[in-house]
Amino acid sequence: MFYPLAGKLIPWFAIPAALLFATGLFVGFFIAPTDFQQGDAYRIIFIHVPAAWMGMFLYVLMAIYAGIGWAFNARLSSMMASSLAITGAMFTAISLITGAFWGKPTWGTWWVWDARMTSTLILLFLYIGFISLQAAIDDARRADRAGAVLALVGVINVPIIYFSVQWWNTLHQGATIRLLQKPTIRGSMLAALLIMLAACWLYSVAVVLIRLRCIILEREQNASRFAEVGV
Amino acid sequence: MNWPDLSMGGYGFYVWGSYIASLIFFVWEVVSLRQRKRALAQQQQQQSSKPVSTPVLRGSINETTS
Amino acid sequence: MLRWIVWRDLMLAWRRRADMLSTVFFFVIVVSLFPLGIGPETQLLRTIAPGVVWVAALLASMLSLGRLFANDYQDGTLEQLLLTPQPLFLVVLGKTFAHWIVAELPLVLIAPLVGVQFDLSRETLWILFLSLLVGTPVLSLIGSVGAALTLGLRGGGVLISLLVLPLYIPALIFGAGAVEASVMGTSPSAHLSLLGAFAIVSLLFSPWATAAALRISLE
Repeated sequence: MFYPLAGKLIPWFAIPAALLFATGLFVGFFIAPTDFQQGDAYRIIFIHVPAAWMGMFLYVLMAIYAGIGWAFNARLSSMMASSLAITGAMFTAISLITGAFWGKPTWGTWWVWDARMTSTLILLFLYIGFISLQAAIDDARRADRAGAVLALVGVINVPIIYFSVQWWNTLHQGATIRLLQKPTIRGSMLAALLIMLAACWLYSVAVVLIRLRCIILEREQNASRFAEVGV
Repeated sequence: MNWPDLSMGGYGFYVWGSYIASLIFFVWEVVSLRQRKRALAQQQQQQSSKPVSTPVLRGSINETTS
Repeated sequence: MLRWIVWRDLMLAWRRRADMLSTVFFFVIVVSLFPLGIGPETQLLRTIAPGVVWVAALLASMLSLGRLFANDYQDGTLEQLLLTPQPLFLVVLGKTFAHWIVAELPLVLIAPLVGVQFDLSRETLWILFLSLLVGTPVLSLIGSVGAALTLGLRGGGVLISLLVLPLYIPALIFGAGAVEASVMGTSPSAHLSLLGAFAIVSLLFSPWATAAALRISLE
């Protein structure tokens, strides 16, 4: 079955992930130069930007897996979606917190309602909704499918939400400078960003597979428990 | 290659703060997964060591039978 | 069939019209809390009015969404409706429309009255009314998806809110934005058009999603 295969794959992702994190941070801190405008504070982007991207990618991936699981009655696919949700939410949270840490020294406040941060916050709400819904439903199949509907509605709504937040933001900003502007990207900075992004991907695969195995086991155990009782 | 300024030009709190916060999340995720696995392994052991004729009512099953 | 569903839901709601009134009262009270919490300075009130009224309408609606399917679910009517040859999404459309009339329309009608508390001009009150008129159906539509997904679950209104409120944010932005534009003297037409577009999109997609969700919840 899938379970042992997943088990074998995990170290192939976990170890490279650790290596890439180390490499990425090395490049980001030892090789990339100090930014002209933002000083060394900009180095936060090496975790902030990959985390934000992961938050978004994983949400779409989650919706796709959930949709496939629903459409084709593929339980493994649905379980994958449930596993992705927590990691995705975590990256989104990291992106929000690191964004706050970045905003304070560069723009003076811990939180800024710019389009990107606000959209990320809403993305976190969407994750929370998905996770809460699945947590509230005891029956695994209903939880899988209900989650799929919610995730698909969410994924369709995300571009609309993003657009409306952009709209809202430009209306209220007036002539102020664009917030959280990235520094002028040098080659080494880009390299560090991409390496960190790859590291995050590998980490996610490893973690999601581990969690997936847990979910598989939990469902099997629940099934056998019910069988014992004769339900 | 140049040795980074550890104080990050005065922004040390923010830079290291972000990385530490992120690290906390990563560690939390891995640790909680480990715990989850351990709990599952324990339950697995308990189930396999129990004789089949005595079903054990646990957790959510109590709610469904009430 | 559609007309029958709407009529039936309206009759049922009329018998429990206390529920309808409590939603309105909640709305009025919540709106009044803000000046009490913030201070009576009129310029400030005029600025916060669009957001406050809109958010209060959202919250009041969240409370009423649970009722959309719950009663029919409990007495078994919902399962019957699923078995009829009529397409489910028509049933959903009918119930959602009835819900809007019962739960949202009173809010829309009362809103201008409540807006007076914030010293809004007549022009702005009209925009407030209009924006809610277009925006509240969206709330019923998107809310119906949440209500269908959470059928029979513990967690009630809070869970529905967690699911629905993020999805509803574009309507909030455009709707409150329209009123705010009016307060500031600029034209609200862009906001209202976007709100209208969002409303049309929800009308096209939500009943399907809700119908699917109902099937999932009732298996």
